[in-house]
Amino acid sequence: MTDLNEIVEQIDLLEPIPPIAAQIMALAQDPNSSLSKIADLIRNDPALTANLLRTCNSVYFGLSRQVESVKDAAAMVGLDHIVRLVLLNSLSANFKKEPVGYGLGEGELWRHAVTSAHVAGMLADRFGDSQNKHLIYTAALVKDIGKLILGRFVSFSYEKINILVRSHGHSFNDAEQMVIGMNHEELGAMVGQKWHFTPKLIYIIRHHHLSDESARQDRETSLVYLADIICMMMGVCTGADGLSYRFYGDVLNRLNLSEKDLQSIIAEAGKNRQQMEILVNQ
Amino acid sequence: MVPKQLNSKAISLMTAVNCSEMNISNNPVETLVAFSIGAGIGISVFDRVCGVGGILNFMLPDSTRANGVDPENVPLMFADTGVPVFMKAFFDQGVRPETMKVVIAGGAHVMDQTAAFNIGQKNFEALKICLAGYDLKTYREDIGGTSCRTLSLEIGSGRSCIKIFGHGEVKV
Repeated sequence: MTDLNEIVEQIDLLEPIPPIAAQIMALAQDPNSSLSKIADLIRNDPALTANLLRTCNSVYFGLSRQVESVKDAAAMVGLDHIVRLVLLNSLSANFKKEPVGYGLGEGELWRHAVTSAHVAGMLADRFGDSQNKHLIYTAALVKDIGKLILGRFVSFSYEKINILVRSHGHSFNDAEQMVIGMNHEELGAMVGQKWHFTPKLIYIIRHHHLSDESARQDRETSLVYLADIICMMMGVCTGADGLSYRFYGDVLNRLNLSEKDLQSIIAEAGKNRQQMEILVNQ
Repeated sequence: MVPKQLNSKAISLMTAVNCSEMNISNNPVETLVAFSIGAGIGISVFDRVCGVGGILNFMLPDSTRANGVDPENVPLMFADTGVPVFMKAFFDQGVRPETMKVVIAGGAHVMDQTAAFNIGQKNFEALKICLAGYDLKTYREDIGGTSCRTLSLEIGSGRSCIKIFGHGEVKV
């Protein structure tokens, strides 16, 4: 078993998330906050403003005229997109690194994160509560942050993990727990605590593979889980762990999601993949 | 309906065949690669007589079950619309079904995925029906399981390679 303190100490090596991301997240979930409050926050961060305007003027949005200010951008593309772009901008530095141990190349964890978040956003629009859509998007984006740290330890123990998965039918996250003493969900939740994420966001990160039965009753966690398995099925930058996670059909039944719905979501996400590449490469 | 044939990114002489795309080549120094195939299926076809090979990388079995996505725009996303487009591209080059070497890989599933939601298995079943329509048999199948696969085809040798992380590769 690995020294867990050694793993946890590595959290400090991640690029800290800019405070503005947490502030905007909080404002976006507050029904009393206004668009102008969010625009004011962004305006105070010149680098963020520049990136935001660049993305708004990219082919991703295909706007008919040039966007020149944050207020303009918010009016043209809407609050949902502004919040998502701020989150993408705040988190990309960590995720774009090459995570060792999971068999992923440089930027692949980020591509998986952005695609998961996009699919989660689609699911939240169809099956979620509108107040929680930013939470669901964010959780899908950051759920695998633990992999950035745990990867090094996975690479040391990969053979043992692989035997537990292939020969004993354990899921990859359970095998991580058994061999290393910690899995990427738990470690991700610790990162969330360190970065002062909300308790609900930390909960979703900790349970996004739904190993805990009570988490399967939670709608937001279920939607993030579903977005993740859809990305696995699509083969979006899946690495050494592949599709070695458990499927819970009762979760889909509870969401009233049929097999046809599942196929149509995969088709829609597949159709949007080129568009997502623009966000991945911003 | 215009199939996407040549829009993948060519890196050196390796050409990626992304999801819902296909590529056909007769360039003997080119290798076509479909990376990270999950529940979708990669199908490589090679004809030694004409020296033509190609890969189709489709994602879903049935174009009629994709609400909101017009298969006319993305025919290569589905087995039922993609395979005919793929086969026609070979037939247009004079390839005959009896000389085709067909290798398929993919159709993975999440652990314990129930049959109703097992898109990988449905992809496999849909592909088998499509291939039977051309009286085509597979030379090699690597289907199912919980791993993603990479399928490549060297046009020069006609050799396909199926790679699974942690399991090495099989050349056929």
